[in-house]
Amino acid sequence: MALRGGFSTETAVGAGLGAVVTWLVILPLAAVAIGAATDTGGLSARPFLDVLGSGRIIANTVIVGVGATAIAVAVGGALALTLARIETPGRALLSRLVTVPLYITPLLTAIAWSWLGSPRGGLINLVCRRLLGIDSLVDLETGGGVVFVSALAYVPLPFLLISAALRSMDPSLEESARIHGGSTFQSLRLVTLPLMLPSIVGSALLVFVQAMGLFSVPAVLGMPSGFYVAGTEIYRSLNNFPPRLAQAAVWGLLLLAVTAGLTWLQTAFLRRNSYATVTGKAFRPRMLEIGWARHLLALFAIFYVAVAVVLPVATLLWAALVNFITVDLDLMAFGLKHFRYVLFEYPKTYLAMENSLVLGVATATLGCALGLALSWSIVRRPGRLSAYLDQVSMFPLAVPSMVLALGVLWVYVRAKALPIYGTISILLIAYLTHYLPIAVRAGSGALRQLHSELEDAARLTGASWGRTIRWITLPLTRPTLVATWSLLFILSVQEISSSILLYTSRTTVLSVAVFDLWEAGNVNALAALSVIQLAITFLALLALSLAGRREGVA
Amino acid sequence: MSAFLEVEGLAVSYGPIAAVEGVAFSIEKGEHLTLLGPSGCGKTTTLRAVAGLETPSSGRIVIDGATILDAVQGLSLPPEKRGLSMVFQSYAIWPHMSVFDNVGFAFRVRGMGRERARPAVERALALVDLAGFADRPASRLSGGQQQRVALARAIACDSKVMLLDEPLSNLDAQLRIAMRAELSDLRRRLGMTSVYVTHDQEEAFALSDRIAVMRGGRIEQLGTPSEIYCEPRTRFVAGFLGMKNILDAEIRPLSRESGYAEARLAGDIIFRARDPFASGSAPSPASIGFRPVDVRLETAGEGIAGVVARSLFLGDVAHYYVRSGPIEICAHDRPRPELSDGREVRWRVDPDRCLVLRE
Repeated sequence: MALRGGFSTETAVGAGLGAVVTWLVILPLAAVAIGAATDTGGLSARPFLDVLGSGRIIANTVIVGVGATAIAVAVGGALALTLARIETPGRALLSRLVTVPLYITPLLTAIAWSWLGSPRGGLINLVCRRLLGIDSLVDLETGGGVVFVSALAYVPLPFLLISAALRSMDPSLEESARIHGGSTFQSLRLVTLPLMLPSIVGSALLVFVQAMGLFSVPAVLGMPSGFYVAGTEIYRSLNNFPPRLAQAAVWGLLLLAVTAGLTWLQTAFLRRNSYATVTGKAFRPRMLEIGWARHLLALFAIFYVAVAVVLPVATLLWAALVNFITVDLDLMAFGLKHFRYVLFEYPKTYLAMENSLVLGVATATLGCALGLALSWSIVRRPGRLSAYLDQVSMFPLAVPSMVLALGVLWVYVRAKALPIYGTISILLIAYLTHYLPIAVRAGSGALRQLHSELEDAARLTGASWGRTIRWITLPLTRPTLVATWSLLFILSVQEISSSILLYTSRTTVLSVAVFDLWEAGNVNALAALSVIQLAITFLALLALSLAGRREGVA
Repeated sequence: MSAFLEVEGLAVSYGPIAAVEGVAFSIEKGEHLTLLGPSGCGKTTTLRAVAGLETPSSGRIVIDGATILDAVQGLSLPPEKRGLSMVFQSYAIWPHMSVFDNVGFAFRVRGMGRERARPAVERALALVDLAGFADRPASRLSGGQQQRVALARAIACDSKVMLLDEPLSNLDAQLRIAMRAELSDLRRRLGMTSVYVTHDQEEAFALSDRIAVMRGGRIEQLGTPSEIYCEPRTRFVAGFLGMKNILDAEIRPLSRESGYAEARLAGDIIFRARDPFASGSAPSPASIGFRPVDVRLETAGEGIAGVVARSLFLGDVAHYYVRSGPIEICAHDRPRPELSDGREVRWRVDPDRCLVLRE
């Protein structure tokens, strides 16, 4: 008996996915746009005028966005070239350490640096005053400080993207430049740099979107001295009484317009400037001979690791263990009392930890499932629907997470049909949307590696679509799924920008609890909680690397 | 005997590009059809459409009396319901399973236990000379062994029609020839019905009862290997099957001898050529074709006058390129020392060996 509609299950799944991404991505962004144009009374241009009137804050936002991006891409690119192409001493270890700031998060980096570099009580200044008698050597509670710390935190992104591009470039392209008379420097400038341009531009945009909508660093280092940016403005508008929702939405819309516009430009740029010579294939990169200068470059990498990893982590650990903040060695004593306080007395810890872990597991699990389903449709069934799925699911890359959270807030504050405002589901939705591009990209990568004939063979041998996915696709993409799951878990546990807008006292999460303690000025407890957050992250990373070893990640 | 697999009016397009158009063929039970053609001719797309892996925009496919595709009615059975098996170009051996699990997959899908499946799996493995390999992990096999496992998997599930998509193209030359012989032996022993896709004419001749030569998404000629080889209908088929001498010609049918025609070549050279597909009127544009081995070279006597432009000594055989006015032809002969470059010669081709070709 004949059965109608060959791929009916798949068709249904495809349509369902279309609805889900529209709901997750398009709906909140539309809400931001609508929200920006409506005041309490109805349609109004007042919020726009208010926001456009605050030129100082707009300028600050641009300074942070451009400054952090420029520094992060320059440093990240230099580190990528150094560690991927030059025989620097200890480069295997350094390559790993350079990515660690991703896991420390901008919030904790900023907190640690605020203790190190605040004008009066900062540890650097205190030490200098004691040893050298100089007053106020550094002041990071300024615009410059915000730019510096944001750049430190974002260096790993350009580093990762540019080193991946460097490794997938056919070395013979550069070799032939050398053979035809180019010097090392010339062949780098004339051949390698243009070929790396797509990855440089791509990572610059990624950092820019995040830096423009950054909340944590300006909140910690900027707000005390009155240096406000769009991200902190959205936070302040909503924490005002009464909350100025429309104003927050206008800030969101403004950020969205800039980041989406630039993303569109980048797409146009890539269409003209991407070359098939940079393939997905991994080559063995040819090492550049630069003699003694490689030691200098190694020092540069070590300096970055010291400033972005060692100092912040050491500061947090020290502050968590020391009795109270002092540089007087006679008074300094160490103990676990802050951990005891945070773990057993501070009322929010357990709630926050439970919420964070539940959210981490839920985001990672649903994110992987959704990412695999979307990427399967995109990779295996090219067509108009999958082009839509691809574009929409990648769009959150162009949206600062605070703007997305704002939209989510806007949708569910009023949604009577889905009363999830004030529950952790609303956080889950924001996280899922924000991390959707990561999940989809990982899934597509894995599926493109997996020859489609492996699935076809199962269908021909009598397996239905569902069974083919379960018996063939899932087992063969498992290493990627495990890695993606861990990454989503770690990112969710650290998330602050959207959580800060969406949490309520019952749904507080770890990073918000850290931020609360920071606002309350409870330095040592804050340090102890930060160390606990770091420990969770690094345990997850350790579990991942053990799992990876057992799976023999292909 | 009615057709076992029947394909009618099959068309597959990717957006505005038609990959396959109006393809039709039918095969009988136990018959082997090969889709032969250069890359991009639509042969693999046709096979995948039969398998249910492509969605045709029109067409009808019937296997053993059951309609599995009817674009007009919107009927298209999913691949797993078509009762086919397939050997893929990449072999598609699942690396996370053992050899046994790969070959026995069809039984697992049907919910049959391992022990009940074992005899069939082992029989299939024995047929491809892999007895005793059942418990090996599939990822530890050589290319040739993977090829055999893929074949065993296709044999084991007792399908109605086996589809083979360039199964030998990833093997090295020696192994390819050995596997070709084995495959030919296997298909005779099992009496299987198959559709085979390849771009290699030798493979096609060795393994098929009939061959469909494809070009630009259409079947250009369909016939037995000897028909295709001896009587190519078009310039494309002739060229693809190694008919090296193809010359533009004006054709005038000869009324006295049906099936023969007079061909006027450039430089007013007149030929007699056979036209097995004569339809009364002269085809235009047209050409004639003949194989280099069918050219007879003499130093004097009858035939068309020419000059040896260059020659290539290859041991048992020599290639002579002979120029006659505006045309140049190639002749294969045993090496003849007297035919040095620049030597004036006479050449001719038996009219039976010289074919009229259509565009």
